[in-house]
Amino acid sequence: MRIPFEWLKDFVVIDIEPQELAKRLTMRGLEVESLEEYAPSFRNVVAGEIVSIDRHSKADNLSICTIDNGSSILPVVCGAKNISKGDKVPFAMIDARLADGAVIEKKELRGVTSFGMLCSERELGLSDDHSGIFILEDNAKLGEPLEHILGVSDVVFDISVPPNRGDCLSVYGIAREVGSILDQKIRILPFLLEAEETGNIADLISLDVFDLAACPRYVLKMIQGITIKKSPYWIRSRISKCGMRPINSIVDVTNYVMLEFGQPLHAFDYDRLRGNRIEVKLTHAPTVFRTLDGEDRMLALNDLLICDGVGPVAIAGIMGGENSEITEDTKNVALESAFFNPYFIRRTVRGLGIRSEASLRFEKGIDIDNVDFAGERAILLMHKLSGGKVVKGYREVYDKKELNRIFVSFGKINEILGTAIEQRDIVGALRSVDLHVMKEEESGFLVSIPPFRYDINEYIDIIEEIARIHGYEHIPATTPVTAVKTLKRDKKENQAGIAKDYFKSAGFNELINFAFFSVKDIENFFITSPDERASCVNIMNPISKDYEVMRTFIAAGVLKNIAYNLNRGAKSLRFFESGKVFYLNTEGLPVEYPAVCFAMTGREREYFWRDKYPEYDFFDIKGVLEGLVNCFGLDIHIEKSMEPFLNPNKSGDVFVNNEKAGWIGEIKAEVLKFYEIEQKVYCAELRFDVIWKMSRLNVQYTPIPKYPQVTRDFTFLIADKTPVSHIIEKIKGVSPLIIDVGVFDMFKKEVRSVSFRVVFQSFEDTLKDETVNALQDIIIKEVTNIDGVMLRG
Amino acid sequence: MDINALKGKIEQEISSVKNIEDLEKVRTLLLGRKGILSEYIDRIKTLDKEERKIFGREINLLKQWTEEKLREFKQFYEDEEKNRRELVTWIDISMPGKTPVTGKKHPITQTLEEIIKIFSTLGFSVAEGPDIESDYYNFEALNIPHDHPARDMQDTFYIKKGVVLRTHTSPVQIRVMESQLPPVKIIAPGAVYRCDSDVSHTPMFHQVEGLMVDRHVRFSDLKGILSIFIQEMFGSNTPLRFRPSYFPFTEPSAEVDIGCVICGGRGCRVCKDTGWLEILGSGMVHPQVFRIVGYDPEEVTGFAFGMGVERVAMIKFGIDDIRQFYYNDIRFLSQF
Ligand SMILES: [Zn+2]
Repeated sequence: MRIPFEWLKDFVVIDIEPQELAKRLTMRGLEVESLEEYAPSFRNVVAGEIVSIDRHSKADNLSICTIDNGSSILPVVCGAKNISKGDKVPFAMIDARLADGAVIEKKELRGVTSFGMLCSERELGLSDDHSGIFILEDNAKLGEPLEHILGVSDVVFDISVPPNRGDCLSVYGIAREVGSILDQKIRILPFLLEAEETGNIADLISLDVFDLAACPRYVLKMIQGITIKKSPYWIRSRISKCGMRPINSIVDVTNYVMLEFGQPLHAFDYDRLRGNRIEVKLTHAPTVFRTLDGEDRMLALNDLLICDGVGPVAIAGIMGGENSEITEDTKNVALESAFFNPYFIRRTVRGLGIRSEASLRFEKGIDIDNVDFAGERAILLMHKLSGGKVVKGYREVYDKKELNRIFVSFGKINEILGTAIEQRDIVGALRSVDLHVMKEEESGFLVSIPPFRYDINEYIDIIEEIARIHGYEHIPATTPVTAVKTLKRDKKENQAGIAKDYFKSAGFNELINFAFFSVKDIENFFITSPDERASCVNIMNPISKDYEVMRTFIAAGVLKNIAYNLNRGAKSLRFFESGKVFYLNTEGLPVEYPAVCFAMTGREREYFWRDKYPEYDFFDIKGVLEGLVNCFGLDIHIEKSMEPFLNPNKSGDVFVNNEKAGWIGEIKAEVLKFYEIEQKVYCAELRFDVIWKMSRLNVQYTPIPKYPQVTRDFTFLIADKTPVSHIIEKIKGVSPLIIDVGVFDMFKKEVRSVSFRVVFQSFEDTLKDETVNALQDIIIKEVTNIDGVMLRG
Repeated sequence: MDINALKGKIEQEISSVKNIEDLEKVRTLLLGRKGILSEYIDRIKTLDKEERKIFGREINLLKQWTEEKLREFKQFYEDEEKNRRELVTWIDISMPGKTPVTGKKHPITQTLEEIIKIFSTLGFSVAEGPDIESDYYNFEALNIPHDHPARDMQDTFYIKKGVVLRTHTSPVQIRVMESQLPPVKIIAPGAVYRCDSDVSHTPMFHQVEGLMVDRHVRFSDLKGILSIFIQEMFGSNTPLRFRPSYFPFTEPSAEVDIGCVICGGRGCRVCKDTGWLEILGSGMVHPQVFRIVGYDPEEVTGFAFGMGVERVAMIKFGIDDIRQFYYNDIRFLSQF
């Protein structure tokens, strides 16, 4: 809400700077997001009166005016036609500067000396109007600087009004808070103008409200014989500063009073209302209605309409109809001031997808008590601006309700806030914002809630009000007195942390991607139903096609990040991402699981002057995987994978304790092509829940052996089809004295020659040669029993 | 006996030395038990007393001179050898070293871990909830009525009617309170989703929710706990302020601002000239929320707070575009 500082001063005497007031409003919960300064773009322009106008003898289109500027009378040559004797006008004297920067000088115009210039609004930078000289109000004091008369120097506050504070969507509403801040009672009196009244509204129009729940109050007033004009500058300038567009002297008044008191008003052209009547009712069938912006609106069931004797003339509280709107020819006006139930307005606004300044206020709730006053204020302003005669009386329907009353105990206030605010300060604080204490007792008090405070429904709301007025800055900062049992950290969170620490030390950078991807990503990975990764959770309203479903695996995002970085000059990358994946389960319900993906491409380093680095291969990523599961006290085994996106010769499914946890391997070139990656990428993705379920994080110490280790090396010739892991398992199975089996060499001629180092360790005594030799024989015998294995001679 | 001839011979022998091996041979030849000097000393014994005295002294001097000379030579060859060896083992210590290859955690993770660490020391434990959430937990139970603007399609991602991607981590509050009796003291970190994408919005971002419920938890305690957090997170001299705000599930509600780290509070573009940056939203748990989860608002009170992790990270690291976090550019990631 934009609030001009100068307008606030109509209601409150403000003796602090706008910047200071802005700070204090912010600390009241009415955050001033910005201050916009308005300064005059002219200098040395004063109010002058036209004493006489004479024709210029040598130029038909010029006249010579004599201007009284309060201290002297000076001749000015002028070309405008809209002026007459006695008009008060802006008089730019010698040395005055206009909006475009021009400086006024004494000038000879066809033999006549001109001592200045009369100005249009545009010349003064006040508006785009250049149709004639800007005629000032009659009460302008001669010689007074124009910027003072017009209130041009101003500061407009842009206030972010909380959604529950509809009462602050007006200058008056903000002024009430300013009054409370400055400890002042705000004034309203000068706003009721005097006007002669004629006729009787009862003879002109009738009113029926068919649904009091939707419209508990409706007031009609009328004015006859008006002349539609342009509004005076002060009205137009205030409306513009608040961000609305001036239209004409009737519509501007409805907007002006809405901005001033928060009551949206609607002016009907009385002569266009059929049947001299207004009916307020809900739609019973879908209806098409053309609003004043020329759009046809499709109304649903139970939208609230204002109708005349024939059909709709306005969508209540949202927008008027084209069929009854004010035009240049309007003579007689019927003015609606009403209260519409916020629930109905919100529903219709959402249904139609239109919002207006009026609906914005009705949606949040307006002051039902103020409905008639605002109507009165507007009709009298219309009379002042557009002439005509105010019709006597008004039409009204009012379903008046009891005010809500809330009891609050004094003890509770300080108990919840942690303060020691005195009883009389509490009462004073509430009174300053029109929350009146009805009954005060030792234990507490009863407050009556004015109808404009929709945010106050129970005792806690009163407590907030007290805290707000007392000032949050005056509430102490304390530490809780209660001793809460401390709980262990969530195990899952902790385990994700272990993995992240591991990857960091292993040289992997962490990625975080959005948890959505595209169906295209599933296709790119050749994943098809019934694979669960093909049954994805759809988003009804995605922000783009790239993010249309929840991701069912992480690797696609990782490949995109690899491509992104390769395109920007990186050659080698190691990435990991830990996050959720989402599927629809067999019952079609969304489920989510924690997962981790890691990938590497390129080589360990681009260069180091002393060493050479080969490109990554399968065994690099496998080692990273082994290291990862080691962190969780687990071993894995890898079996041939059927994953459609992996190179079948360089990949595998990962099993932990015989449960499948994920996959590992080289991504197929066809897949990489979709992501525009031209180098090999090794990648793995695991379901974390499978790993966490089986993790053994409790380390148990084993005593360090007192006796020396013995190592023996073996070299076997092994056929390609026989996996080395079988041989390692076989050797380990030979004796509990074998504590480690490693592969320290592998080369291939016709068959693979693989060298194993076996470590023997006894915890009871020093191993004798005979013992180890005997075991060595068993190893050779057992291993060479495997198909396709021979001892190398 | 010709001492001079002897000296000449010794000088000749010494001058023939070319390396350390020669030196040892010459030493044996001259000073050895069967060496030239020994031979002369033996011969002295055959001379008379007077001569023996004269020659004895001369020979002794000659012996000392020889020993001195050989020592000098030895020193020379040893130095030479040392220099030669040093030349072979010399390295250029100005060549680049080999740094171990390590990675970095994402700045969001780093920030999140720091937030969690601070609240852990204050006795908060971590709770989690699903990303795909029911309308009930995401809105209704949090006192966000059906026609609240926050429910409009432009903010919330819908999976289907009644199922959304959580728009905040606040549903975890409800889930925790439904599953345990007071006291409660948790924080709930996690990803949240809103349909919004520009310099200051991404469709997914991270939040940390906090909740403390017990007898006698006061608004002043909320101020106390959050003050400690902010000073731990941003430094003990960070100015902060609590100002009234509105959230449907807290009452009273407070927005917490910290003094702008860019301009030091003088006012700049980042803080929109206010000198303050919004860092988190908070408030006392609304009695209506307690009623919904079956807690008695007459028995317990509590506070809740929520903050955007990206927002905290942006302020901490001076990042001005939230989308930077999600490009995953290695030149960005490796800076933290
Ligand atoms: Zn700043």
